[in-house]
Amino acid sequence: MDERRSDLKKIIMDTKTLPTLPGVINKLNSLSNDDKSSVQEMARIVSADQVLSARILRLANSPSYGFYRVSTISNAMILLGVNVVKSLALSSSIFEIMEKNSVGLWEHSLGTATAAGIIARKLGLPEVEEITTAGLLHDIGKVIIGLKCVEQMPEIRRKIKLDDLFISDAEKAVLDTDHAEVGGWLSKSWFLPDKLSEPIAFHHNVNSSEDHRIKTSVVHLADVLIKASGFGDSGDPYVPPIQQVAWDALKLDETLLHEMVVDLEDKLVEVKNFSLELANAAAV
Amino acid sequence: MQKIPLNLAAADMVLARDIFKNDSPTGMPICGKGTVLSDSLISRLQQMGVQSLYVEGHPVWQEGDRCLSEQLAELEKRFSKTLDNRYNAVLLDMYRSHLTTAMGDNGGRTEE
Repeated sequence: MDERRSDLKKIIMDTKTLPTLPGVINKLNSLSNDDKSSVQEMARIVSADQVLSARILRLANSPSYGFYRVSTISNAMILLGVNVVKSLALSSSIFEIMEKNSVGLWEHSLGTATAAGIIARKLGLPEVEEITTAGLLHDIGKVIIGLKCVEQMPEIRRKIKLDDLFISDAEKAVLDTDHAEVGGWLSKSWFLPDKLSEPIAFHHNVNSSEDHRIKTSVVHLADVLIKASGFGDSGDPYVPPIQQVAWDALKLDETLLHEMVVDLEDKLVEVKNFSLELANAAAV
Repeated sequence: MQKIPLNLAAADMVLARDIFKNDSPTGMPICGKGTVLSDSLISRLQQMGVQSLYVEGHPVWQEGDRCLSEQLAELEKRFSKTLDNRYNAVLLDMYRSHLTTAMGDNGGRTEE
């Protein structure tokens, strides 16, 4: 069994065909780990990517930051913080990878990111941006399995349907691994920071998360909530069980959970009736 | 609660959220949550360039919309594997009552 899994790991992690992150993220990563690097240096790297620059300036000029007319990338980076810029760069490139592959999974990921942000804010946690990014990326393993295990996918889908399995269990039965583990491998090969790779690798098994249990718990709960609301398509229709360790780590109670559900559904109304507006706009 | 384009709004619908000038949440609120719409109010909103609004319940039905009982059945199915988890059982109750409130008086109505 172990052999099969490591063979599969080789196939999945074959770097030649693995989607790569744009160089700008790797450069930002190495610069931000270096104490001697300056914001100006990072700004120069970001400036080379015009789409990213536009996104950063747009965010810096959004009313939620209270400043207007930030026109240089370095000022924007000082205002937003390097971490926000990094997660912005990461999430926009992930969008491109995911959008191409599966709309349902993309919706599920976007919804989980939204839910993770709502939970983190409600609990007053630090690093909301990173938690949101972790929510967005948590199912990246499914994208890779979809790309690399084309032959096994029908079997996985059939098992989910006929045996009423969670997608992770079906993946384990067919591939001897699951999307969380594959996501963990991928985040290692992309050198993502632990605060992203732990929620990705352990969102179905919060207990295994050691250094970032709070963030992992948020992503776990966000996944549960978005599946409860039936938004998007993550591969199977079933709501995963809320894990006791996540409940304890976040110090949840029923009142808090209820407020989160209300906030999330309130937010989702904006998205859910989008098709109505589109249909109407087309008719006019 | 439902978000609808203004041209589908009709008299007697109830606003579920404030309407803001230019649809911008930082703008000035021009019409408060809880207001009952009237034909004259709708035409004023049209003049002010309002694009869409949030109304209580689910007054506008389109193809693919499911009535409350169908939505509840799907909800039960989603939770069917994890009902023995006490937190999930609590969560299911929350979603059940949320759906029922969100669909409002039209909830039982089936699609025409």
